[in-house]
Amino acid sequence: MANHIDSRHAYFMKQALIMGEKALETGETPVGCVLVHNDVIVGSGMNDTNKSMNGTRHAEFIAIEEMLEKYPRSLLHSTDLYVTVEPCVMCASALRQYQIRTVYFGCGNDRFGGTGSILSLHSDSSIDPPYPVHGGIFQEEAIMLLRRFYIQENENAPKPRPKKNRELKTSFETSVSGSQTHTQ
Amino acid sequence: MEAENILRGIAPLVGEVIPIRSVQETRPVEDYADAYVAEVNVKTASKVIKALDSAFPRNSSHPLSHLRRFAKHNQIPESLRPTFLKAGYTPSQTIFVLIPSPLPAPEALQTLLAPFVPPPREPAAPQLPTEPSIPCAPAAPTSAEPTTSSSTTTRSSSSSSSNITLHTITVPMQPPLTPQQADLWSSKMWPVVFNPAAPRALIAPPPQTLARVRESIAPKAGHYLALAQVVAAEAERSGLGRGVGAVVVDPELEPEPAQEPAATQAGLDWTGAIVAVAGDGRYSRGEGGKPAPAPTAGPNPKCGTYDADCEGGPELHALMRAVELISSKRREDKPGSRRQQIRPVLYQLEEYFLQKSDAQLDAAETTTEGVMEGGREEEASEDDVAAPPDKYQKTTETEAHAIHLHHHKQSGEGETAEEGSRGAGPRIRSRAQGGYLCNDLDVYLSHEPCICCCMGLLLSRFRAVIFPRRGRMVSGGLASEPVVKPVPVEAEAEAEAGGEAPEATGEAGEPASKQAREYYGLHWRKELNWRALGFEFVAAGDGPNDEGSSAESGVAFHA
Repeated sequence: MANHIDSRHAYFMKQALIMGEKALETGETPVGCVLVHNDVIVGSGMNDTNKSMNGTRHAEFIAIEEMLEKYPRSLLHSTDLYVTVEPCVMCASALRQYQIRTVYFGCGNDRFGGTGSILSLHSDSSIDPPYPVHGGIFQEEAIMLLRRFYIQENENAPKPRPKKNRELKTSFETSVSGSQTHTQ
Repeated sequence: MEAENILRGIAPLVGEVIPIRSVQETRPVEDYADAYVAEVNVKTASKVIKALDSAFPRNSSHPLSHLRRFAKHNQIPESLRPTFLKAGYTPSQTIFVLIPSPLPAPEALQTLLAPFVPPPREPAAPQLPTEPSIPCAPAAPTSAEPTTSSSTTTRSSSSSSSNITLHTITVPMQPPLTPQQADLWSSKMWPVVFNPAAPRALIAPPPQTLARVRESIAPKAGHYLALAQVVAAEAERSGLGRGVGAVVVDPELEPEPAQEPAATQAGLDWTGAIVAVAGDGRYSRGEGGKPAPAPTAGPNPKCGTYDADCEGGPELHALMRAVELISSKRREDKPGSRRQQIRPVLYQLEEYFLQKSDAQLDAAETTTEGVMEGGREEEASEDDVAAPPDKYQKTTETEAHAIHLHHHKQSGEGETAEEGSRGAGPRIRSRAQGGYLCNDLDVYLSHEPCICCCMGLLLSRFRAVIFPRRGRMVSGGLASEPVVKPVPVEAEAEAEAGGEAPEATGEAGEPASKQAREYYGLHWRKELNWRALGFEFVAAGDGPNDEGSSAESGVAFHA
């Protein structure tokens, strides 16, 4: 699979996956991302909803916040996002409002995905211009991160669900292993 | 105190709280499809079902259990009778079986059903003319209009009367939402069963839940929305934000209705259940190393247009800021913590409610720890057992949201103990005390929130969201249909079928002046894992096409 992927995309998605690993280590939903401008990472983020007790603190918001400490938001016009999981509806809209240039993601998000899975906010009519989206980059790695997380119990939930007997699944459906691309 | 004077001076909006329909209700997707009907020997009905089910297994994810599998002669819709009953069998001889999608190949179906052909007709009816068989043609393009069912095509493999004739009809693919809809379909299309519980759950909130919450929020919605507008005005005056405001209410803190006649809601009494307010702060952040701008005499000149580079992000919108203020209490941020330092702005009214939330409720003699750890959790689990609505929002096996309805308040049992238990501790419970995101809170907004904020409120687990219809935004994510007078289901479905693309304005009675927009109805989408109840507040005097006073016709920005 790796040889299909431009080495530049591969490099930045690896950096996003490293952020996802960090999230997993700290008990957050393992989604990580980096913002890339002229081949330089200008912001990176991982989910922070559990620690912050704020369900809107997704990786994309953290990365943008970090970026804006140093750069004006107009820089986002020429900045790309690499994120391990398809942006959710909230983030897909935020990225549109911030007028991101392009979004590259790992695996799709069939619960909340906002760039093709549930809604297509990157391309729907809006007061902001559309952005192109490319999915399927290292999606197996991204899925494995999520699987490793979801076999754990969510101690932060008011009523954690017991998951003692779950086993980590490591196989992939054939349909999942192919690259999937959503563009505008 | 100035904030309190402001609150005392607030005049509630007058109007009505209207549930926002879900998009599945306003826009039934792929609602109708072709199905075959065959007349079979009534005595072989059970064998017919067995044969069909084994040869053409049903799609378990789309069981179509609202469609009756058989119709007796007297159940056949009027419009189908001329075609169906012309074979001349008597009701005691035959019954009609429905074969819905996925449609098998007609030849295979006819072969399968051949053993079940009706018995030879009584000799009393030989005068029937032998109809030439209508050539096999695909059914007319499916229209969303039930009345098209009268145009059926009929297929029989030969003129031999011993063969199975297949009629093609149009049937509704989604279960009916109301008994009226079921009756309409049954009389026009095919007999349909109305099941009030299961199928509706994904499509729309359970009617009882919706009615109960609506009833509970209606008395004070006008107050909270008026406050949201005052908060909005403060944000705009500061020059640091647009005129958008949010008010978050904990319904559990509302006094019992009996204890609070409307007349006593004067002064500050009505503010008792408010846990936080927040105004928009989109111009308040220093970016690229620049310091945060200082408040100026607003409104900010940037308000007059939409320039994405000057807007600040959705995390500075009123709803997102309210969520963050509540989170800061859940986290028990220390004063001067980093999160507080980077908070770009804090308006006067925000600060007032933040400080108020630190004040302990009348805890009486209970201690926080004992009650919260014991009472709260047990109460929740009892609710689980007793409360059917808990499961309505569940769509998958993963963690799913439940609307907690505070059944103790409705049912009247065990009130004293449970009310007492909520009385202890701060108004916004910390994480250690069982506080979680914005679970079970209601949010009142001056404007229809943007798509990003809509999903933010779902991810925050709000119970309900309310905004004034005049605050609709072309960029909003909650409305599910244009503001027009109620139109019949059929006409609406037709308009939708043609008007999926938002460019198609001027349809469905939309005034041409209004900007095109999408209608997402994000509060309740069956595809999403989390849902909230959504309401619009229609001010008294708002006409059905009162565009002049609507934010939808103003500057388009994300609220």
